[in-house]
Amino acid sequence: MWEARVKKALAVMIQHNLVKFEASERNNNIAEYSIIHHNVYCLLRYPKYLYMIKRIYGTSEEILLEILLNLGQASASNVIFQSANRLKEANDDSEISDPSALHQSFLKLAQDNFIIRCPKLADNASMQKVPTLVVEEKEKFTVPHLEIGPIAKLLKENATQLGEHSDSEVIWRVNHERFDVELRNVILVNAAARRVDSTAGELYHLILKLWRECSNPDSPTTNALSFNVIKDAVRKNEGSSPVLLEHFEQYLRVLYEDTSSLITKVGDAGGGQFILNYSIVFENLACATLDSIVLERFGSKALRLFRLTRIQKFMEQDQMQNIAMIPAKEAKMFTYKLLEHNFLQIKELKKGTSNFAPVKSFILFHVDLPQQVARTALEASYKGLFNAMVRQMHDLTDNKRLLDKHARLETLLESLRGEGLPEDELAYLSDSMTAAEKSLVARIHSMNDHLTLGQTQADDTILILESYLKFSSMT
Amino acid sequence: MAGRGRGRGQNVSFNIEQLGFGRGEAVPVSVTQPPPLFPTLENRPLPLIKDVEYEYILVTQKDLNTRMRNSSFHLNTAIEIQEIQQIHNPSYEKELPVLWNRMPTELKKSIAKKLGIEKLKTVKSGKKKKIEDPDKIFAKLEKKEIVESEGEGMCDGKEDEDEKEKSDDEKVEVEDDIEEEIDEEMDEGTDYASNYFDNGEGYLDEDDNLDEGEAQF
Repeated sequence: MWEARVKKALAVMIQHNLVKFEASERNNNIAEYSIIHHNVYCLLRYPKYLYMIKRIYGTSEEILLEILLNLGQASASNVIFQSANRLKEANDDSEISDPSALHQSFLKLAQDNFIIRCPKLADNASMQKVPTLVVEEKEKFTVPHLEIGPIAKLLKENATQLGEHSDSEVIWRVNHERFDVELRNVILVNAAARRVDSTAGELYHLILKLWRECSNPDSPTTNALSFNVIKDAVRKNEGSSPVLLEHFEQYLRVLYEDTSSLITKVGDAGGGQFILNYSIVFENLACATLDSIVLERFGSKALRLFRLTRIQKFMEQDQMQNIAMIPAKEAKMFTYKLLEHNFLQIKELKKGTSNFAPVKSFILFHVDLPQQVARTALEASYKGLFNAMVRQMHDLTDNKRLLDKHARLETLLESLRGEGLPEDELAYLSDSMTAAEKSLVARIHSMNDHLTLGQTQADDTILILESYLKFSSMT
Repeated sequence: MAGRGRGRGQNVSFNIEQLGFGRGEAVPVSVTQPPPLFPTLENRPLPLIKDVEYEYILVTQKDLNTRMRNSSFHLNTAIEIQEIQQIHNPSYEKELPVLWNRMPTELKKSIAKKLGIEKLKTVKSGKKKKIEDPDKIFAKLEKKEIVESEGEGMCDGKEDEDEKEKSDDEKVEVEDDIEEEIDEEMDEGTDYASNYFDNGEGYLDEDDNLDEGEAQF
């Protein structure tokens, strides 16, 4: 009995791209299953994906993506069909939206690589116990020809299932890597906007797009863009604000002279050659994140010590308290606190040569950014995220009965109100739950929201630190 | 090594000043128990950011969670299945909207097995066909739920296993798989009742529907 459930669970996870399988080497008829860790983690980021798509494109693309996330893997026609149904529901069954508009949206998403084709079944797959799936490099983003006519017809008939269709063998899924790149870009654009102002953010967004078109996404630096190319792009872009058009040279200059290295100038040809060096930018971002962590946890004096040590690389205790201008006792206390929490490391250099006298040694403090500090902070973020999830689950399961009762009551009230029941009868019904219960439910809901927000924002920190570690290990 | 420990701490290798304590100052008390599980926070953490983006994310997250939970992808735990079976039709089973033709065949067998269709033991050679007449209820349910017939192919079951259904009354099941046979032997081929030896797996299982009929002594 358990066996059947395990099989079902595996099937569901494979469908949602969380688990993959391949034929075992020893015996082709047995499949070996493995978890795709990154995709499981990215389950948390689905709302962010939807928000980004909504901002970049619009509602119909957002609905397409949502349907695809719900289904895991699906063919294009199925996604379009279900999205049209969902739009119909949202508009209260009034109008039937045109599936060809959704088709265009689907094409846009595929063009920008946000969705990707799954590997297709090899030709002899139906004979095999463990089907082999073949990746086709060139066709990863090409949408096959779809027949919109049958879809439109089924929509008119209020069908719930699509049935057979011509492209049922071409299956699509969400492209997590592309979304990760996009999330990183959002962080950079927001950094530019915070550092300078929102017009600079706009300019940076444009430049990022140009870089993406001309460079390899996996390399730690982008290819160089010349000033003239940027100028053309800014002029051609319809969405540019007039401020940007007028002052874009100054904005560019401000950005590349800024210490955050959002843009690095590497040469003068063509009016200036600009690249983005991911490792430096993310190091700066990670440092900023860690600085704010130290600040919030230990105070501004500790922050001064931390930054000093980071910039000066190796320092002695006495030096630290002199340069930072902090009284000795406090300096010592903060130093040891930072040491305890792994923000500072100790390096001992022995000085003594004689075997009789006690050995004197230099004790130097330094900040080991990539290995110790960033990883500790990352671990702490993961733990915080996990704690928030556990607590949320605990709250929901403990109060499940109460929440269910409340939900049932609400739906009942809504449906009765829709049928036109008078208000006093509704009030009578809603009194079946006491005020204390209702306030408890409200408290649970607000705690739930709080925890979800906390998880989302912890994820932001995790993204910065992970990207930093990834790029620093590349160089 | 001279003067080892002679006199109180005369020849210690470090200087108490180096540790940061002036002469005569008290040494901090040594720790005698593990740190508390929930230590009090010294500084209150910053409040969460609540702007338009995060509001939207909150709403979307709740929406996605509800949809997932209500979809047929959500597999119920044993207790929930019991509840559903008590309230609804006991033989009610929702179809999983999974793309079966892209999965290993071993995962697909679960559906047929669940409905309790018996697979008779196979002899170790050639092809065999066992025609069965299951109850009409099972037949109807299985017809609704086996989705993979075109993926499995219509080959003659030479060395592979196929599951074909021709009509409501006639079921043709061909099994020839040696690995599967080994599995089957373990469960059904012996003289002893299969659950006489309790391996303790179902110890905390609260599912009362487990078949315990055979091993009553």
